[in-house]
Amino acid sequence: MKTSKSIYLFFLPGLFLYAIFFVYPTISALFYSFTDWDGLSSSFQFVGVENYERAFTGDTVFRKTIGNNLKFMLVVVVFQTLVALAFALIVLKNTKTTIFLRALYFFPTILSSVSVAFIWSFIYDPSLGILNQLLELIGLEFLAQNWLGNANIAIYSLAVTQIWFHAGQMLIIFVAGLQAIPEELYEVAKIEGASKWQTFRNVTWPLLAPSATIVVAYTTIQSFKAFDLVFAMTGGGPNNSTEIVATYIFDIAFRSYQFGYASAISVIFMVIIAIITYLQFKVLRSNRISY
Amino acid sequence: MKRSLLLTSGFLSGALFLTGCAGESNSGTEGEEDRTKISFIHWRGEDKAVLDDLIAQFEEENPAVSVEMTIYPSEQYQATGQRLLQDGSTGDVFTSFPGAQFEAIASAGLFEDLSGEDFVSNFDEELISVGQKDGAQLALPYQLVFNMPVYNKGMFEELGLEVPKSWSEFQTMADTLLENDITPIAFPGADIGPNQFMNSMMMNNAPDEDVFEKLQNGEESLTNEWWVKTLEDFQLLEQKSYIQKDALGTSQDSAMAMVANEEAAMLATGSYHMSALLDLNPDLELDLMAPITVEESEAMYEGINTATFMLAVNSKSEKKEQAKEFIAFLSQPEIASQYANETGQHLTINDVEYESEVLQNTAYWIDERKTRFQPRFLITNAQIEAAVLSSIENVLGGAEPMEAAKEAQQIVDENRD
Repeated sequence: MKTSKSIYLFFLPGLFLYAIFFVYPTISALFYSFTDWDGLSSSFQFVGVENYERAFTGDTVFRKTIGNNLKFMLVVVVFQTLVALAFALIVLKNTKTTIFLRALYFFPTILSSVSVAFIWSFIYDPSLGILNQLLELIGLEFLAQNWLGNANIAIYSLAVTQIWFHAGQMLIIFVAGLQAIPEELYEVAKIEGASKWQTFRNVTWPLLAPSATIVVAYTTIQSFKAFDLVFAMTGGGPNNSTEIVATYIFDIAFRSYQFGYASAISVIFMVIIAIITYLQFKVLRSNRISY
Repeated sequence: MKRSLLLTSGFLSGALFLTGCAGESNSGTEGEEDRTKISFIHWRGEDKAVLDDLIAQFEEENPAVSVEMTIYPSEQYQATGQRLLQDGSTGDVFTSFPGAQFEAIASAGLFEDLSGEDFVSNFDEELISVGQKDGAQLALPYQLVFNMPVYNKGMFEELGLEVPKSWSEFQTMADTLLENDITPIAFPGADIGPNQFMNSMMMNNAPDEDVFEKLQNGEESLTNEWWVKTLEDFQLLEQKSYIQKDALGTSQDSAMAMVANEEAAMLATGSYHMSALLDLNPDLELDLMAPITVEESEAMYEGINTATFMLAVNSKSEKKEQAKEFIAFLSQPEIASQYANETGQHLTINDVEYESEVLQNTAYWIDERKTRFQPRFLITNAQIEAAVLSSIENVLGGAEPMEAAKEAQQIVDENRD
């Protein structure tokens, strides 16, 4: 009994850190969301639900950021998952080539986001950038674009960068998931004469569901919370076309000095992420199969 | 055994040596501790070398004070720098941008009132009003910037072009440049282009200097002629290729490269880029020129000025006297002259002697030309400022000026105080 009680002591450092870095800021944000605090002054007024009303009914840019976030999230979640899965299937075996490819695919993950933003801003530069020059070189100059300056495509250009940056992390999760699938199932499938696609459809994919759940949920949260790449590459422009909720919160809090309103948006944002994550887990868990 | 003994004794000797070093360092620190250390925070990384030198001179003159300088990237400083001031431990001397940041810091009471300090008289009285609020001198702008295009004067002379005095002359000049395969204006639309170029583009379309104050209090609208005309002018620049293709995707560095390589005749930023352009191409002969978007007879202004890099003392500081001594030192004409010449900046300090050629050649803009304070900095609400700038991006992205103005006005209405 004494021993089991002392076990709880081991939780204390973690609980302490969790309280400081998550619980306290969350409660603070909730508290300030009902105020007009400017983030600098020592005084503020309580304004009730005014900030929430403004977010839902009187802020065109906020609504636009939600739309941008959803576009960004959908593209990143779908393609990052597919790319990571494809890479994982390629590098599954432990040969020298696949180990090299695994390192190559994982490489972008170790870079800092600012470096990635710098590299891709250069790649996308409409006149000096490698991408347009490459397209011209291979005779596809009609595809050359103003990748970050065109309000219709800038958000997707950012999504590509995000996928390049983070697909390597997801690759590791998929590789671990693939390695956990018993080899016997593949042997049985082979004996039964299943094609590669049938094997993937009926053996690999269902048993990969736990990994896929983690990848999709993590990618959703990661893409919803994306900030650094967007901030460094476009700053939300042109004409708010790449402004996402996180960069907008930053603008409202640190450029417009409306911490109360920024807190309200943060709370709304947190609730949206929580709902999406819950729904994803629910849907993906219900699709799990075990043999 | 012997080997392990050697290793152990080696390790101990190393540890003792390091301890000895630490002791020496500590004794040095004790000397440092006798001095009052003040913190100086700002955003101008490019000035580090000259400021290091000036700080060394200040410390020599004031042995009881030392200055610890911390430089933040300007974006970060503009966004979060002011939060460092709140507990008084950082930024005994700090700098501020005019406009929204100045207003926020002033509202929070973080500026020490410098009215009545002797060193205020070292500054040009007319240029420091932007640092005043409610009759108090809260900050002292140190730099005088001209936020209008830098142009290649040598190229103009070669092509027999003169500085246009009206919108029709401007277009004729731009056509001549295009005929010579030169892009008239390099516009860094991906970052600071709209922020900077909007000022000179609107200065004569809306000569009323209170226009943005009126916009913020609802007396004016972006759908009124002054702003729609400005957006139409931007549209014309884009449609006639007076600014480079894909301008909204062009970074500051790319635009500067265009001017340095003489692919473009003008850089739509400001005087603060002149020395950087000369670093890229020392053969350039540069001057400043704002587009006049009206007929010559209607033009009230020739350019834009901004008094910025506003020096201030943190009201929460416990070392205010030492902080003021440092500002007093920086405002001495000979010290300011060194700063001006080594950074390529015009200053707000009286009796500064500009030695560099580019500063001497453009100093006439200070006294001889009719310039107005940067309109963008008169927008004190950052959301409204963002809406104004977005309407320019919207037009350059293909929207009709009136539609862009309406869209932006809706955001203005939502964010009006």
